[in-house]
Amino acid sequence: MHIPLWLWYSILTLLAWGVVGLLQKLPTNHVSAESSLIWLIVGFLVIEPFFYPGSAVVHYSRVNLTYAVLSGLLNALGAWALFAALKSGGKASIVAPLTALYPVVVIALVPLILNESVKPLQWVGVACALIAVILLSA
Amino acid sequence: MICVFCWVGWALLSKLGSEEIPPNTMQFLFTLGTIPVGLALLIARRGRLQKSRMGITYGVLNGILSGLGRLTLFAAYHTNANTTLITAATALYPMITVVLAITILREHFRPIQALGLVFAAIAFVIFSI
Repeated sequence: MHIPLWLWYSILTLLAWGVVGLLQKLPTNHVSAESSLIWLIVGFLVIEPFFYPGSAVVHYSRVNLTYAVLSGLLNALGAWALFAALKSGGKASIVAPLTALYPVVVIALVPLILNESVKPLQWVGVACALIAVILLSA
Repeated sequence: MICVFCWVGWALLSKLGSEEIPPNTMQFLFTLGTIPVGLALLIARRGRLQKSRMGITYGVLNGILSGLGRLTLFAAYHTNANTTLITAATALYPMITVVLAITILREHFRPIQALGLVFAAIAFVIFSI
């Protein structure tokens, strides 16, 4: 079995986010969801100096730089919307699994936007992954 | 719906930006994008921020781990591997949360979660073929 580089990186991502999933339950016992989100952003800022790109950043295209900043904005807005949904009476048992399904929409849009194709066996893997996401967040 | 719309946009823009920009710079720029939301939240709360020591510790730790996880996600996108596969694989992070919740928090292990773990394992075997 050969594990490709992208899968190693993905495993590191899900290990880190898996722990985050556990830790996310804990701060809201002590502070409000909004305060949690602000402290989360403070956490981003703590590691920010390690990623300072220096003057190299001017060499990248303006479009891709905009995409990168917008991705951060949308991610944080999404988290805010999630907290707002929970605060306005949405049940966590419904809101959490529903929002966990955003990869389904991404996967549906990828062939249209990025013109990437997936082999039939890989589609089986994608289907298994999505079923797993649904079952794990149920 | 707003949350899903935002996170779909986040995933697609992350991929598009990562095609050219290396992971560490992507993470740097990503964080810049989150600052306006943090400031807007602070303004909405009129600067009032709850300062429970445990709340701050968990919140900041979440930010650090979440940022490091995103760094490796950007690295995965930067390899130019298939976006669908990366998105599907990284979406499986609840399986780690479930395992940790059962082993650390001693939460009850439900059969449906066991089935979820089986499907996740099958997905990983297929992705590594």
